[in-house]
Amino acid sequence: MLNYEEELKKFKPSLEVADIEEAVREEELTDLRDILEEMLRHTT
Amino acid sequence: MELTTKFLYQSNYWYNDGLQRATVRDMTGAVASLRRSLKYNRDNIMARNLLGLVYYGYGEVGSALTQWIISKNLKPAENAANYYIKMIQESPNELDNCRQAIHKYNQCLTYCRQNGEDLAVIQLKKVIAAHPAFLRAYQLLALLYLQDEQYTNARQVLRKAHRLDNTNPITLGYMFEMNQVRKKSPVKLKEPKPQTVSYNVGNETIIQPANADSKEKARIFTLLNLVIGIVIGVAVIWFLVIPAISQSKAFETNEDIITYTDEITAQGAEISALKQELENYRSASDQTEDAQDTAKSTQSSYELLLDVQEQYNSNSVSNADMADSLKQINGDSLGEKGQAAYNSLTEAIYPTVLKKNYTNGKSSYEAADYQTAITYFTGITEMQADYEDGTALLYLANSYALSGDTDKAGEVYAQILQLVPGTDAATKAQQGIDGNTPEIGNTEE
Repeated sequence: MLNYEEELKKFKPSLEVADIEEAVREEELTDLRDILEEMLRHTT
Repeated sequence: MELTTKFLYQSNYWYNDGLQRATVRDMTGAVASLRRSLKYNRDNIMARNLLGLVYYGYGEVGSALTQWIISKNLKPAENAANYYIKMIQESPNELDNCRQAIHKYNQCLTYCRQNGEDLAVIQLKKVIAAHPAFLRAYQLLALLYLQDEQYTNARQVLRKAHRLDNTNPITLGYMFEMNQVRKKSPVKLKEPKPQTVSYNVGNETIIQPANADSKEKARIFTLLNLVIGIVIGVAVIWFLVIPAISQSKAFETNEDIITYTDEITAQGAEISALKQELENYRSASDQTEDAQDTAKSTQSSYELLLDVQEQYNSNSVSNADMADSLKQINGDSLGEKGQAAYNSLTEAIYPTVLKKNYTNGKSSYEAADYQTAITYFTGITEMQADYEDGTALLYLANSYALSGDTDKAGEVYAQILQLVPGTDAATKAQQGIDGNTPEIGNTEE
């Protein structure tokens, strides 16, 4: 049987239109090239 | 090959994978692939735009807009994200519906966590009606139905959720749970019906096939259904078909009547026009005849006038005959010169003739020869109606009266009253009208 409480926890609030600006700012834009460059910078 | 180039290839590979998954509505898989594509290359605009489109496809408008805005910032020109954003901005009502639906869904989550499931169910139904592509709302509503053991409703909602994203783990999990519940529910087996019916009659037990009765019932039901069918058929014909046919016929009859009425009206108008035309022709014909008569009269008047003039000049014909000719001339039909000649001749000829006829008429009257007197006095009055102040007319009237023609006498008496009123002749004419034939001895010259 389903555990209602557990299942309910899986539901997260949907992104509201008013919060888009913040979501854009917080969007993770780092890609592997950035990571690679970071690694190279540290090694040198 | 450089590592960065490999990253680009990997990014494109996962973009293609995401596109393939999105095409078959594997939204969860598409999101995972596109996210991976962006991890290799955040500038893969197509992958980012498609990610936004996939979010939009299952109702996550906020997430979709987030991806498109980022895409637009990364590549402001020649970017499909511009089109998507513009389309959403151009339909503000739809955007507002989505915004409110998302807000209500978030409220429902709060209700659920505060044991307000009933309220949440009501609210979620409204959310789905306003924003039919909102996958999360369907899933939460399905969870609430499952919790309340409303499996039929849950199944319907889950089907819709499955159509929006056919690999979503939550949806699949709930569907699996539904199937488990169905398997666990006991299935009632129908008890086999007894094949025979047995009953006792006295000491004997009679065993009869059970379906004998049911066959009989089936026959009765078949017959009954047949009768009901016939009755319904007759009723349909009686109440629907026949009125429709009658109405159609009545309509056709009315159309015919209208057509005939129009034709009759048109023919009536045509007849009236033809009558009018005929009248015009007749009138024109009468006028032509009148004109011809006038022309003839004028012609004969001139001819007579010329004859009389010639006779007068040659002194070959008596005055009485010339006077008779002049009386036949229509003075009104003559022209100015003809009229002058006519007047000249009458002034020269009439007085002599009048005087002679007057004397002869009086002699005949006094000799009681009233018919001869009538001839003389008629001739006189034709030449000059008021001759001798109406005395000639008085003689004429008396002659008629004494000869027994009282009607004619009355007409002439009346003529005297009209022609010479206030004269002695008029006074005597009045006596004549009153029935006393007047004496005319005093009027003699």
